[in-house]
Amino acid sequence: MSGSPEKLKTLPPENPVLVRLENVTKSFGSFQALDQVSLEILKGDIVGLLGPNGAGKTTAMRILSGYFPPTSGKVWIAGQDMSGQPEKVKKHVGYLPETVHLYGDMSVMEFLDFAVKVKGVPAAERSKRIEEILFQCGIWEVRRRLIGQLSKGYKQRVGFAQALAGDPEVLVLDEPTTGLDPEQIHKIRMLIRELGRTRTVLISTHILPEVSMVCDRVLIMNEGRVLADGSVEELAAGLVERQEVLLTTGDSTDGEILKMLERVTGIDQIHIQSTKAGKTTLKLVVSAGAEIGPVLTRLFVEKNIPLYELRISRLSLEEIFLRLVVQENPPAVAL
Amino acid sequence: MKALFLARKDISSFFHSWLGVLVYSLFIVMTGAFFFLLLSGYQRLSLEIARGSVPDIQHVSLTQFIFGAFFMNLGTLFTLLVPILSMRAFSEEHKHQTLELLFTYPLSDYDIVAGKFAGLVWFLFLLILPSAGYIGFLHWTGVRLDWGMLAAGYAGLLMLGASYLALGLFVSALTDNPVVTAMMTFGALIVLNGLDWISSSLEGPLAHLVQFFSPLGHFRDFTLGVIDLGHLLYFLFFCLYFLFLTLRVIETRNWKG
Repeated sequence: MSGSPEKLKTLPPENPVLVRLENVTKSFGSFQALDQVSLEILKGDIVGLLGPNGAGKTTAMRILSGYFPPTSGKVWIAGQDMSGQPEKVKKHVGYLPETVHLYGDMSVMEFLDFAVKVKGVPAAERSKRIEEILFQCGIWEVRRRLIGQLSKGYKQRVGFAQALAGDPEVLVLDEPTTGLDPEQIHKIRMLIRELGRTRTVLISTHILPEVSMVCDRVLIMNEGRVLADGSVEELAAGLVERQEVLLTTGDSTDGEILKMLERVTGIDQIHIQSTKAGKTTLKLVVSAGAEIGPVLTRLFVEKNIPLYELRISRLSLEEIFLRLVVQENPPAVAL
Repeated sequence: MKALFLARKDISSFFHSWLGVLVYSLFIVMTGAFFFLLLSGYQRLSLEIARGSVPDIQHVSLTQFIFGAFFMNLGTLFTLLVPILSMRAFSEEHKHQTLELLFTYPLSDYDIVAGKFAGLVWFLFLLILPSAGYIGFLHWTGVRLDWGMLAAGYAGLLMLGASYLALGLFVSALTDNPVVTAMMTFGALIVLNGLDWISSSLEGPLAHLVQFFSPLGHFRDFTLGVIDLGHLLYFLFFCLYFLFLTLRVIETRNWKG
């Protein structure tokens, strides 16, 4: 790292941002998998991406891995914009998919040889690199076996090895311990800890204890949005219950309804979600405790404003946490 | 460059599979059979010419008699062969879900399609390469050969094969079932072959039009030793068109998830 002054200029002295997402949205048809996600991950962080199934973790990771681009928004990896030439940026990322599917008819060595070549490791360094990752992932003794004949634990390690093949600065691991036995899980977690010393690691999981064991920082996702960001302790301490209210009303939003709602105690935030066909949908964030449903209906009836839909969801961080804690050994579910 | 690593991986995995070895051996046996049947046919014919029972056909050279038909036979055999080669290209990766990882490697979609296509054409090249041994054999016996015609024939075989493979690659990107891919590709190739005989039963400009779309029609001139720019362009556009479609198909993951 001790380089010329020019080098120091391009590299901020400490903890440069390695991963940056800005208003990243991904939709599949009408389904919104990611909704305006913005975040930054620093060099050397081990970040856990936590959330129930369908929260958008896999989508987020696939975008980071370059599998597909976001519908809108920007992604930077190691300071490079991913939308330009993704194949150049992908070099900085090692990706372990949720279920590792590898070429069963290749031996471990053949496959890793392919991986280091495609990931652009210079010819002179390839065999050394392969040897390193074989040892690091504990698969030296199976290097000549066909991948198709390996046990699930070994396949997972080969998956780790291919992610490491290009010596990436960022590792993206999608549910790395799913479906493994407890001993294997322990070994994999040790490996992640070790890898995290020199790299930025992003792990998705829906197992809370795993996060507290491995990660420095946690992002909680649900329904395509990041709900919380911090260390496990911070999050556990600062849990606040919130309610989210979606209401659809007539198109008279010339401020009247908004002003009316602003006066209601308990409503912290008001967003206009959509306006179409003479109807407006508003999203309200309501602080804990307030019985908002009856208050709102009374208000709308009194003012004689049409109310087409009123939906209150109470999915708090705490509930997500609880769901995650309970599911210590969930069945492997593909998103 | 990186596309070539992918091509090499595909070829080596094809040779690792029983299917690859079977296809390769069968193809060698069949081309050998074609060659020896044509050679003995020529031998019979020249005996009969010597006996005077058939009028001399000076204008038909040995190269033309044997290799003209040999190339046509191989061209027809491609209808069967190509679906078996191309069915694995994307379908196999779809089926085993290995594409997800490949898309996250520092390869562009263009690299992936180019690599897959190069692997297929390369394998086809390795398949037809041993048949050059027959030419070597005839040359060794002292027969005078028309080298220009042979070169044109091989160029034609590669062009025709590459075009069929591009079509097969496109079909294999559509489905995750290799058998379905093979059937669909075979069906499409049968239709393309059919154009050739449909055009021969038609007359006038319509016959020309149908003939224009028939790959075998364009290929036939190559087997006669003719390399025509029009034919080259036809095969070039054929390949590019289907490679372009393949590229579009693999891009659909962007909105299908």
